[in-house]
Amino acid sequence: MPKVVIDPITRIEGHLRITCQVEDGVITDAWNTATLFRGFEIFMKGRDPKSIWQFAQRICGVCPNPHAFNSVRAVETALGMETVDDNARLIRNMTEAAQIGYDHILWFYVLNAFDYVNVPNALNASPETPSLQAVQDQVRAVVDSGQLGPFANMYWDHPAYKLPPELDLELTAHYLQSIDIQSKANECNAILGGRFPMIHHYIPGGVTQLPALDEIAFYKSRMEEVKNFIDTVMVPDLLAIAPIYGEDLAGTGQGVGNFLSWGVLDEASQDPYDRLFPRGAIFDGQLELQEVHPDETRMYTKSSWFDDSVGDGKHPLDSGQEPIQFTELPPMEGEELPEGKYDWTQAVRYGDQNRPMEVGPLAQVLVAYLTGRPEVVQLVDDTLAAVGAAGQPEILLSDLGRVAARVIKAKVNSDNAVRWADELLENIGAGNKEVYREPDYGREGDGHSGWDASRGALAHYARISGGKIDSYAAVPPSNWNLSPRDDDGVRGPVEEALVGTPVADPARPLEILRTVHTFDP
Amino acid sequence: MANDPTGTEWIKKLAGMPQKNEAGRQDMEDHRELSIFPGLSRRDFLKSCGTLAALIGLSGPLAAPRVAQAFEEVAMRPRVIWSLFQECLGCSVNLLQSRKPTPAQLILQQISLDYHEAVMAPAGDEAEQSFQDTLATDDFFYIVEGAVATEIPEAITIHGRTAADIVLEAYQRANATIAIGSCACYGNIQAAAPNPTGAKGVADYLRQDAGLSDVTVINSPRCPGNAEDTIAILAYVLVHNELPELDSFGRPLFLFDETVHDNCERRGHFDNGRFVERFGDEASEKRWCLYKVGCKGPVTHAPCPKTKWNGEISWPVEAGPCIGCSEPDFWDKLTPFYDKESGIRLPGDITPTQIGVTLGAATAIGIGAHAVGQVAKGRFGRGGPVAGKEETEE
Repeated sequence: MPKVVIDPITRIEGHLRITCQVEDGVITDAWNTATLFRGFEIFMKGRDPKSIWQFAQRICGVCPNPHAFNSVRAVETALGMETVDDNARLIRNMTEAAQIGYDHILWFYVLNAFDYVNVPNALNASPETPSLQAVQDQVRAVVDSGQLGPFANMYWDHPAYKLPPELDLELTAHYLQSIDIQSKANECNAILGGRFPMIHHYIPGGVTQLPALDEIAFYKSRMEEVKNFIDTVMVPDLLAIAPIYGEDLAGTGQGVGNFLSWGVLDEASQDPYDRLFPRGAIFDGQLELQEVHPDETRMYTKSSWFDDSVGDGKHPLDSGQEPIQFTELPPMEGEELPEGKYDWTQAVRYGDQNRPMEVGPLAQVLVAYLTGRPEVVQLVDDTLAAVGAAGQPEILLSDLGRVAARVIKAKVNSDNAVRWADELLENIGAGNKEVYREPDYGREGDGHSGWDASRGALAHYARISGGKIDSYAAVPPSNWNLSPRDDDGVRGPVEEALVGTPVADPARPLEILRTVHTFDP
Repeated sequence: MANDPTGTEWIKKLAGMPQKNEAGRQDMEDHRELSIFPGLSRRDFLKSCGTLAALIGLSGPLAAPRVAQAFEEVAMRPRVIWSLFQECLGCSVNLLQSRKPTPAQLILQQISLDYHEAVMAPAGDEAEQSFQDTLATDDFFYIVEGAVATEIPEAITIHGRTAADIVLEAYQRANATIAIGSCACYGNIQAAAPNPTGAKGVADYLRQDAGLSDVTVINSPRCPGNAEDTIAILAYVLVHNELPELDSFGRPLFLFDETVHDNCERRGHFDNGRFVERFGDEASEKRWCLYKVGCKGPVTHAPCPKTKWNGEISWPVEAGPCIGCSEPDFWDKLTPFYDKESGIRLPGDITPTQIGVTLGAATAIGIGAHAVGQVAKGRFGRGGPVAGKEETEE
C-alpha cells in the first residue's frame, strides 16, 4: 500500500507535512503534521497586558491584523470593557478590510493558482494584446535562461492541468498583476498602522490616534483600486476557470460537514451576530444556523507532542502549558504510518459533542448566507447559477465551495471597505474625534475575543491577574482545520477532507495539494 | 502624510466622493489592456537599479548602470535559497510589498529564487529537489528567515531534517549568508524568556552550537525584516564584490548606523518638549513626540524614518510608538512597550536634547554586552577571504 508523504507542503504560511495512505488510486487515510513549534502561550505568560498584542500579532505575518484585534479585545473584555468608541471600531474595521482584501488576492493567485495554472503552457498561447505578449516574452526569457527558479521541478505535465494556453497565459499575467494589487491593499494598512505586516496603531482601549483626513482619503482611493481588481479581474477569473475545473472540485474535499465562524467586521452595535460576516455555525452538513460561544472550545493533546494528562478537553486558557513530549515522526520513506503522537498542533473540538469544525471563508459565507445577508445571498446564488447548480448550495461543501467562497468574501469585503471610511468621516464631521478610553488595568478576570482571520475562525483568550497575563491562548484557524486526531481518534477537518480523494499518480500527488490548499493552511 | 485640522467642507467632499465604481471599472479595463505590468521593461529595470544604487550609497549618472551591470554581467541570475525556519512569514510578506524593485522584477529579472517554500510551485520531494539542485552548484546566496531551534531541534523540521541541520549545510556552501528579520538574526520572539525551544539566530547557532569559528552572517533585523534592505545588501555585495562593514550585532553600518530617534520626523517636538501624554489626546492628533507613551526610537538602530515601509507610504512611528524591533532581545529588554521607563534608563536630570544624544550613544539595552567582536571577513567569492573590515566596535 503506497504511503504518500508531502513535506514540505509549499505555498502556505507555516510548516506542514501531509501523510496519506493510497489504495487503488484513492486516499484511504490521512494525517497532517505541523512541523513547527514556537511556544507563544509559554512566553506570553507573565507579560504586561498593554504590550501583549504586539506579541500576539507575531503569531502570523500573513494575518497579523486579526491577531492584533483579538488580542486587544481579549484584554479589554478581561478588564471589563465590552465595547470601544465608534471611531476605534471603524478604524479597526478599515484595517481588517485591507487585510482581507490583500489576503484573499494573495491566496487565489500566489498560493493557490499553480495547482490549476500551468505556467510553461502559457508559451503555447497566441497573445492578442501587447500586455499579454509582454508577459509571454517574460515567461519565455525565464524559460530560455534555463533558470526556472520557483517554477522548476513542478509536475507541469500532470494530466489534471486542463486550461487552454490562452487562459494559462492570462492567469499568469493576473498572477503578476495580483502582486501589485495586494501591495496596494497593504498600503492601506501602512497608512493607518505605519507598516505591513506588523501594525502599530492598535492598543487596548481603542487605537493610538485619529487618522488625518488625507490618510483617510488615501485609504479610500487605494481600496477602490482593490475593489476594481476584484470586480474586473478576480471574479471573472473564477468564472472563467469554473466550467473547466468546477466538476472536479465539486466532487472532492467534502470534509467534516461542521462549519464555524466567530464573525468579522463590526457594525455599530458591536454585536458578533450583527457583523458583516456574522457569528454562527453549521453542524453535520445541515444548512441550519446554530449559535456558538468561544468558551465552548476544547483542547486535546493525545495526538500532539504534549503531555496528554493535561489536555483532555480543557478550555484554551487551561491548556498550552503542558510539558513537551516529542516522539519521532516516521521517516519520509518506507511504509511506516504516523501513530500515537504526530503533531505540534493540539486537536481543537467544539462543544459537548467534541465536533471537529471546518473554518474559513466557506464557513463565513455559509453563515452569512443562512443569516440572510442580502449581498452574500445574491453572490452565492449567482455563483451556483454560473456552475449550473442553481438552488443547490450543498454542492459548496467541497473544494469548489472553498475556492468560490474566498472570491465571494473578497468581493463583499471590498464592497464595504469604503463604507467604514465614510462612516469615520461622518463621525469626524459631527465633531466626534474619540478613539481611545483607558482600560482599568487594576481589574482582574478572564476575557476572550472571537473575530475571524481571513483564513477562518480565530479566538484569543486572556486571563489577567495582578496586572499581568496569568494565562493566554490563541486558537487560530489552522488549529481547527489542521487538528490532528482527538482523544477519541476522530480525524481533523483536513485529514477527513483528504479521505476519498482520488490520486491519479502517487508520485505526482497534485490532487492532495489542491485539497490542502483550499483550506489556506 | 501631513495632518490637517478639521475642515468640514473637505470632510463633506470626501464623504460624498463618488465611488468611481462605474467610471472606474472602465478605467480598469483600459489599465488591464495597456499597462498591466509596469516594471518589466528595460527602463523600469534600470530605474529599480537606480533606487538600489542610492540605498547602497552610490551616486551620480553611472550609479544605476553600475548596479544593473552587477546583476547582468554574471552569466546566470544570482541563485538564491531562502529558508523558512521558526518564523511567521512576515519578512516574506514584506518582500511582496517591495517597490524598489518590485517582486516581479526581483524574481523574474534580478535573481533566481530557486527555493522559497511560500513562493515556489513544487512541494514535497520536488521542492527538496530544487533545494538540492541549487545546493550542488556551490554558487548561491543563502537567505534565512526564522530562528533555529537548538534545545528542541525537532521544533522545526523540513523534509524530515531539522533547521539546525539544514542551515549548517547551506551556510557552509553559500557565497554569502544573509539573515533577514530579527528571528534569523537574534532568535526574536520565540527566544523571548523562557525561550521554550532554545531559539537562536543563525550566527549564534553556528558559533555556539555548531562550533564553527569565523562565522560571517549579514544581519538585516527588524520585525518583520525589511525586504528592501535585504535586496540592497545583495546589490551591495554584487556591486562591490565584498561584504558591507558590520556593527557589533552583524548589521550593515550603511543601513543601521543611526537611531530611529536621530532621523525621526517627530524629533522637533521632542526637542521642544511637546509630547503625547495619552493615546487619542489632542497631541496625538497633532503627531507630537511619542517618547512619554513608550517610544523606543532613542535606543533603536534602524533606518525606518529614512527608508520607510511599504513603498515609502509610512513607517511605524507615524502610527504609534517604536518597539525597538531591530535590537536583540527587545521582547525582554524593551518591554513593557508602552512604558517610557522600560529599557531607557536616564542618568540624573537631563534635558530632552541631551536625552537624544545620550541614548543614541549607547546605554540602555547593553550594546556591547552582547557584542561578539563581529568579524566581517567574507566568504564571498570562492576560495579565501575578500577585502572586508576586520573588526568594528561600538
